[in-house]
Amino acid sequence: MDLVQLQRQLVDYKTSLYNEGFLDEQFTQLQELQDENNPDFVVEVVSLFFEDSERLLNELTKALEQQSVDFKRVDAHVHQLKGSSSSIGAQRVQKVCIAFRNYCEEQNIEGCVKCLQQVRHEYSLVKTKLESMFQLQQQILSAGGSIPM
Amino acid sequence: MWRACASKGAFRIGVLCAILIPVAKVMTKRLKHTQNDPNEEHVTINSRLYADLPIHGISTPSRCNLTIQHHLSRIPCITVGGVSSQLWSLKGSHAHITFRHLGYTYIQVKSLKQKDGNRAVPRSVVREKSPPTSCESSPIAASPMGTPLRKVLNRISGLASSCRSKSGPRGRCQIFHRDVGQEEFQYASAHCLSSYYSVFVARLAIMVMLAILIALLTVLTWHFTKMYTTKSLKTLAFGLRYELLQRPILRMWGILNSTSEITTAQVKLSEYVIRRYNKPSTQAEQVELYQMMKDITWALFASRKALNAITINYKNGFVQAFHRDHKNNNTFYIYSDLANYSISGTESSSSKMLLTRKGWNDQFIRGNVSAIWYREPLDPISGEKTGKALPIPPDEVINIAGPSQVPDGVASWHVAVSKYTDSPLLSAALPVWDSSNTSIVAVVGVTTALFSVGQLMKELVEVHSGYIYLTSHEGYLLATSTNAPLLKNTTNGTKLMMAVDSEDRVIRMGAQWLQKAYGNKFPPGDVVHVEKANLGGQHYYIDLFFLNLKRLPMVGVIIIPRKYIMGKIDERSIKTLIILISASVGILVIGCVSILILTNGVSKEMKLRAELISHLNARRRAEASSNYKSQFLANMSHELRTPMAAVIGLLDILICDDHLTNEQYAMVTQIRKCSTALLRLLNNILDLSKVESGKLVFEEAEFDLGRELEGLADMFSVQCINHNVETVLDLSDDIPKLVLGDSARVVQVFANLISNSIKFTTSGHIILRGWCENPNVSTYSGKFSPDLKKPLSALKTKLKHHGNHMKKASKRDNKIVLWFEVEDTGSGIDPSKWESVFESFEQADPSTTRTHGGTGLGLCIVRTLVNKMGGEIKVVKKNGPGTRIRLFLLLTTTDGTEQHGQMDFANHSVAVILALHGSMGRLVMSEWLSRNGVPALEASEWNELKQILHELFHPRTRNRVFDDHYSRGESLRSRIHSLQDMANLVYIVVVDMRLFDLSTDIWKEQLNFLDKFSGRVKFAWMLNHDTSNAIKIELRRKGHVLMVNRPLYKAKMVHILEAVIKERHAEIHKRSPKGNKGGSHECLEIDSTHLETCSSDDSEISEKGGAVHTGEQTREGTVKSNTANCQTPKNCLVELTRLGSEMNILRTAEDECDAWPELHDTEDAKSENSNSLEQHHVSSSTKDRDNLYTSKAVNGEKSLEGLRILLAEDTPVLQRVATIMLEKMGATVIAVGDGLQAVDALNCELDGKEYRRERLQTDIHDSHPYDLILMDCQMPKMDGYEATKAIRKSEARMGWHIPIVALTAHAMSSDEAKCLEVGMDAYLTKPIDYKFMRRTHESSLGVVRVSGVTLLRDDICIRDDICRGIA
Repeated sequence: MDLVQLQRQLVDYKTSLYNEGFLDEQFTQLQELQDENNPDFVVEVVSLFFEDSERLLNELTKALEQQSVDFKRVDAHVHQLKGSSSSIGAQRVQKVCIAFRNYCEEQNIEGCVKCLQQVRHEYSLVKTKLESMFQLQQQILSAGGSIPM
Repeated sequence: MWRACASKGAFRIGVLCAILIPVAKVMTKRLKHTQNDPNEEHVTINSRLYADLPIHGISTPSRCNLTIQHHLSRIPCITVGGVSSQLWSLKGSHAHITFRHLGYTYIQVKSLKQKDGNRAVPRSVVREKSPPTSCESSPIAASPMGTPLRKVLNRISGLASSCRSKSGPRGRCQIFHRDVGQEEFQYASAHCLSSYYSVFVARLAIMVMLAILIALLTVLTWHFTKMYTTKSLKTLAFGLRYELLQRPILRMWGILNSTSEITTAQVKLSEYVIRRYNKPSTQAEQVELYQMMKDITWALFASRKALNAITINYKNGFVQAFHRDHKNNNTFYIYSDLANYSISGTESSSSKMLLTRKGWNDQFIRGNVSAIWYREPLDPISGEKTGKALPIPPDEVINIAGPSQVPDGVASWHVAVSKYTDSPLLSAALPVWDSSNTSIVAVVGVTTALFSVGQLMKELVEVHSGYIYLTSHEGYLLATSTNAPLLKNTTNGTKLMMAVDSEDRVIRMGAQWLQKAYGNKFPPGDVVHVEKANLGGQHYYIDLFFLNLKRLPMVGVIIIPRKYIMGKIDERSIKTLIILISASVGILVIGCVSILILTNGVSKEMKLRAELISHLNARRRAEASSNYKSQFLANMSHELRTPMAAVIGLLDILICDDHLTNEQYAMVTQIRKCSTALLRLLNNILDLSKVESGKLVFEEAEFDLGRELEGLADMFSVQCINHNVETVLDLSDDIPKLVLGDSARVVQVFANLISNSIKFTTSGHIILRGWCENPNVSTYSGKFSPDLKKPLSALKTKLKHHGNHMKKASKRDNKIVLWFEVEDTGSGIDPSKWESVFESFEQADPSTTRTHGGTGLGLCIVRTLVNKMGGEIKVVKKNGPGTRIRLFLLLTTTDGTEQHGQMDFANHSVAVILALHGSMGRLVMSEWLSRNGVPALEASEWNELKQILHELFHPRTRNRVFDDHYSRGESLRSRIHSLQDMANLVYIVVVDMRLFDLSTDIWKEQLNFLDKFSGRVKFAWMLNHDTSNAIKIELRRKGHVLMVNRPLYKAKMVHILEAVIKERHAEIHKRSPKGNKGGSHECLEIDSTHLETCSSDDSEISEKGGAVHTGEQTREGTVKSNTANCQTPKNCLVELTRLGSEMNILRTAEDECDAWPELHDTEDAKSENSNSLEQHHVSSSTKDRDNLYTSKAVNGEKSLEGLRILLAEDTPVLQRVATIMLEKMGATVIAVGDGLQAVDALNCELDGKEYRRERLQTDIHDSHPYDLILMDCQMPKMDGYEATKAIRKSEARMGWHIPIVALTAHAMSSDEAKCLEVGMDAYLTKPIDYKFMRRTHESSLGVVRVSGVTLLRDDICIRDDICRGIA
């Protein structure tokens, strides 16, 4: 009973994530890729994403704090962030990244800084969401159930 | 004077011109302006018209915001089908709109057209459909210069139309229409009027100018001519008048002189005589004296004939006188009676006289009245007495000058009258003094008639004209030139007449005038000249001459009528004036007419120019709107493409869903098909607008034309399978293998043409012919029927136009002209539509849209593409039903190395039996074979094939009954016999699967029947796309591995032949049953490319293996060309290669001589055992590519089984995801972080390979280290482009080609171009979609595996769109 409830909770949670636009079908694909050979594939990729993103965010913060901002570098970082976020389906991060890149092209420091904050915000949001989802999954798994798709 | 006048005139003309020229300019401007206006006016009208249209439910922004907004607002109204019926109900007004804006109303008209089914060109549609009233008014509006007549007509028609519209109730449409019509009409009339006036004024001004000029000239000419003549004449006339007057005056003077002389002489003589007889004392002496005096006097009198009389009056009263009567020409001697005179008495009286001088007066004479006077006629010459002296009455006595006339003793003059003459007499009197000079003894009087003066005057007047008269100072007439009497009879006797009383009218009037002018006081000086005296209505010249004698002042007057002197001149001058005026009027008229004509021409020209300008304007507008349209279409289709791509992508996802029911699945599949069709349409539109806006740029890349076209044929044969249509590719051998150009566009041209043909062909065939224009290729074109050559030559001449000057250039640039023909046996195109089918939205038959769909854009795109490629396309005549479209392209060959590596089949003693279903393909193929020296037999159905085989191999059964069923049995038989005569002939039977009866299981028996011959002949199986697996498996089971897909074309045939020949060589030389069954066999699967590659591989193998056989040299070329062509995917049989390399790795230690047959063994086994399923998949994935979307890829999960993929991706997340994805599909993935690593990884592998190669020397399958490289474009250290370049460079060294697929976040086409430029084969957009990735991989591998490169590339492009849509 508890398990069923947990499973339903997970499904609802996932649906809400999709509906609120945190995730898109890329994440679904990611999940599809997960199989017996790679049981923790999604978690692995997502944690990779977290690592990478944090690194990138730090780099970005550093880059934007500098006197003369190297927009090329910033752009490259944002590009990477965008690529990785789109790969896991973190839609909202990706969207902000697009705006970010536009500001970069305009060489608008204020816009960049604003975007950086937004990205950070979105990133932390999606991170918490995903972490809580993984926790749920973990609970289900530990309860001996299977994760519903 | 003249010069001054002339300069004045010139100045005036200049001023005139200065005034008129700006006026003319202004008028011209106005004209232009008024003629430019209409378009703007139309625009406003039309825009208002749009706004008024209720049907669209569109509120257009008020006035004339021009076309683009209309576009935007109008397009939906067309695409949304619901309103079209409403639209249609207003077709009249629509037609009206269309007339103005051709550019964007195409679509609109199109919508009408489709509804209507009318196939006319939009413009003509409009013309036909516009209602009569508008027809009347609008063309007039177009003509800038309407005649007044036409204007009146307009007005009438306008009235009529308005009346009509008032009379009957009408729908909103008509009212609206009338409004527009009237508006236009008003505009037109105003326009006409103004332009008419301005031209009229211009003409008038020019005419007035001319008139003034001519009048001025005339007046000046006349004036100066007249002045001159008048002046000179006046001078002359003055002289004449003076002369005329002078002469009578002189005569008068002469008369006076002579009179004076005579008188003086008489006096002197008298004095002498009287002195001699001084104091006569006696009567006798007295008588003697008188006698003496009489003699002297006679002598004097006789000497002067002009004298009228000479009188001597003695102081005693005795008078002696001689008188000459001029009338009767009698001469008389008159004397008084001497009786009464005494000497004394005389003396006394004389003394008395002395005392009282006054005593000697008339009284004295009268006192002698009592005296008797005698007149004695004399002989006028001798003076002898001729008659008796008769006493005469005193009143008959002539004037005798008495002493009263010389009162003071000096000579006196006076004018007297006498009754004997009718002219006045001039009498002079002089006294005769005595010797002492103290007393007067006698008075001598001489009378001269003034008659001669009058006579002279008359003579003068006769010669000249006019009137001359002479008056005394008091005004008495002395002489006139007329016959008017000079004397008047009064009661007191005859008296002198005053000039003012003269009977002659002119003289009288002249005298009166003179009196009036001068009175009695004449001006000082001798002469007075008066011109222009008006006497009784006529002008006269009056000249006065004053003869100022002391005693007898006289005035000579000459009156000459002006007419006499000036009459001629006046007359002439009037005539001259008349002539001048008439001449100038004539010139003026001619000038005006010519001005009219001239300005008419000018105005016509202006009209035309204005029309031209308006047309240009209209055209510019139309072009602009067309541009807008193109732009709009481009934007729209681009915008539409994105959602479409999304739709298709989503549908794909839906299709992949396992939970669909069959119905749902079918529906979704259908939706997907439709969406793809829609997307294609959008792509077409985009292409078209790209071409139109000139943004289409052709890339210049080397490509294999033949291969592309073969791919096309492959593709379309799949499409045709449902149509029972045969697709035939017939390319001449001289077509260069590699050409430079935009392969995608070239293929698009043919794809469009062929798909168009397929659309209209229900049965028969579609042939794509191609040949190269070359002077030495005529042998080939000879194979075409003669009727085909005619249009060809026509086209050729056309080509020559730009070909001539291009020829040299083309020689240099390696340009060649490639001719192509796409021929079908479809419904054909009406010859009248041959030109118009290439227009956009144009279809030969409007009903085709219903039956076949399509937009009519395809051929338009084709033509624009062909034209851009320097070619031309047109429909040419064809015998029989169907269409033949011929085109040529100007393409650049790479260089002279276009040698075909084709072997000479004639030397290999092979014969081909073509058992093909499609007759055309068979025919083309057999012709080609016989051209290449390969004998060919044809069979169109199973029985024929059977017969041929029987004939060949069982000659004894020749007489069997079924032989006779075939009409061509005999010729066939003879050919078969001729073949049988050739020894050692290898027969290749190409069997079309359609020959088999597949509906039942009979095919198995048929197969078994054929299998019996398998030892003697080689079979090549031509598979259909829908050939079931069972058959293939059965074939394979029976050991028939030589299979090709329909259609059979040259390249495939070549491969079949090569495979067979090679196999035979292998048989002969190897003598190894293993080898016989080995390598060569299993390669001969699926497709021609395989064959080619495999054969080349095998040849390499044999070379490397050190085996020497005879066929080697001939095949050398093939190998060379293949290696040279880096685009040719060589080691496409990936599984084999991979296995091969693995084998190599495994057997590094093995002996090289033993290695390779064993290798084959292993390969064989492997491929047969483990990879049979996989092989099938590969074949199906390539063959049934079009079914890719409809059929779920069953084996998709492991579709990349065994592939080694190098993934270069810097983002760890992506790297991981992609790796997992690919691994899930069965590929081995080596992931690297950046481009540099990728290059290193590759080089490392290569080095390893090199190394192994050196060691083994059996590295025959010089396989790639990786089968595919996925390359991220943006990477640190070395980005994807650089890495690709580097890899390609190293590849060039090695001579292979690893497909590289780009991974990029940029979805722009420029990136695509960049990717392809650096040598990538395809590209994927991030984020990587699992399904699409799989497909792309398949297709890019397909690039390797199959020949249809372009097709795949197209697929990839479509997929890009999908990816873009989803991303």
